[in-house]
Amino acid sequence: MDVDPPYKLELVADLQGHDERAWQVAWNPIKPLLASCSADKSVRLYSYRAPDHGCNTVAFSHVGTIPTGHTKTVRSIAWAPSGNTLATGSFDSNIGIWEREDASDSEDAGGKVADWECVTLLEGHETECKSVGYSSSGTLLATCSRDKTVWIWEVKPDADFECMGVLMEHSQDVKCVAWHPSEEILASASYDDTIKLYIDDPSEDWYCFLTLSGHKSTVWSLAWSPRGSYLASSSDDLTIRIWKRVDEHTWKFVLELKGHERSIYSISWGAGRATSEGLGWLTTTGGDGKINVWEITESPSSKGPLAAKLLASTSGAHDVSDINSVSWCPRPDHADMFATAGDDGVVKVWRVVSQ
Amino acid sequence: MTGEIFNANPTVYALSKRSTRKSKFEAGQSLWVDELDQPKLTDESDIEPIDQDEIFDLIRSIADPEHPNSLEELRVVSAEQIEIGHNHILVEFTPTVPHCGMSTLIGLSIRVRLMRSLPQRFKVDIRVKPGSHQSELAVNKQLNDKERVAAALENATLVGTLEKCLEPVGEHGSL
Repeated sequence: MDVDPPYKLELVADLQGHDERAWQVAWNPIKPLLASCSADKSVRLYSYRAPDHGCNTVAFSHVGTIPTGHTKTVRSIAWAPSGNTLATGSFDSNIGIWEREDASDSEDAGGKVADWECVTLLEGHETECKSVGYSSSGTLLATCSRDKTVWIWEVKPDADFECMGVLMEHSQDVKCVAWHPSEEILASASYDDTIKLYIDDPSEDWYCFLTLSGHKSTVWSLAWSPRGSYLASSSDDLTIRIWKRVDEHTWKFVLELKGHERSIYSISWGAGRATSEGLGWLTTTGGDGKINVWEITESPSSKGPLAAKLLASTSGAHDVSDINSVSWCPRPDHADMFATAGDDGVVKVWRVVSQ
Repeated sequence: MTGEIFNANPTVYALSKRSTRKSKFEAGQSLWVDELDQPKLTDESDIEPIDQDEIFDLIRSIADPEHPNSLEELRVVSAEQIEIGHNHILVEFTPTVPHCGMSTLIGLSIRVRLMRSLPQRFKVDIRVKPGSHQSELAVNKQLNDKERVAAALENATLVGTLEKCLEPVGEHGSL
């Protein structure tokens, strides 16, 4: 870039504690809680507080560690939309469902470790589970694995789950699942270089209605735009692709972004501090240890339907380590804040600020 | 392992003379120069750059999974097949036969040896020599997928096999 980006990233918190590689971060959608998971088989929970008179930045504190009991790496975590339930996906092929023993207590962010218990263990995948995700209504959970399948589970009362479908569409490992922000549409990304989209046929089962091809290597991560009319994907081919919904069941490739030198492991699309015509802020990270933040806008220009402007870029964000996960804070009052997790076992929280 | 032998009679080559300079890694030191010995070396530019021979010395003695020979003896690895960039190392290896089913295991053992020996700042890419394997792309993709590598290293059976490859094949693989 010839011109310096207009913003920079300010480190808000440097949260150490995992003994091994941290794989993913997930913000609780309701409560001020951030969770991270790691190869050390634990989940760590942090609460945060808005700036007050004594402190002018958001303050994070460690409030608990769930040892999980998974026998291998905890690769993925996801909160249910209620904020009361956490799902963990592990290389031991199982999915843990975690709830606090006394949910009425849960407003107290200083809850004790023992409060979180495994209410259900979902078994079914044959090999490593790589990603888990709740649908926007919280009634469905999707999981995927190196066994090439995507499972859709119905969330029933009393921590009961029923498998609604096993989707065997990919020819290789499924790396990521991501639900549409408001509709019951599921997207999955794979080592087979493709993205697949699924819906439920009311009279039949879940089925794949669309395959998005174009990436030239593993698709690692997916992110829907906040309003759901776009899907972004990041890949080992060092590109980011944005796909636009042009019809109810049709998405088309509209924009390619570059800016990483190694695999792009994670992508997150937040509302950002965007202008009214903006589609929000997209952030990407990966094996090059770099974080890029883009502002995405719909442009009526002839070049294409979308424009992306690099707002901020930071290299060596986790020192020499790969960065495995990035996620925007879902709270509107912290729309400029996101978290990252790295091979150094550290979770960092960043804010996008003016230069 | 199936017990199938992919190359029953490989060519065993004479070993090149071992580089005379002892690698810092082999001497049990980190690349970051020992502070007590050399207190003046603080600037990053003073750190001695790593070279092909040092990397080769780390991987030459790795045992072939199906023969009582080292990767060097079978010319699976050589100093010429190593490229060094800024904090980046590319190791190419040449399977003895194009249908070698052990290629992933060989590549993984090279990766693990380098992972255990080198400072974290090095990003390592490993691939088979272009044209040397019938499933070249698949092998390369697997060896450079960090999630698959991480999962493989949590597989006790596979790690057991790997550790055997990582025990040096005698001194210069004497039979």
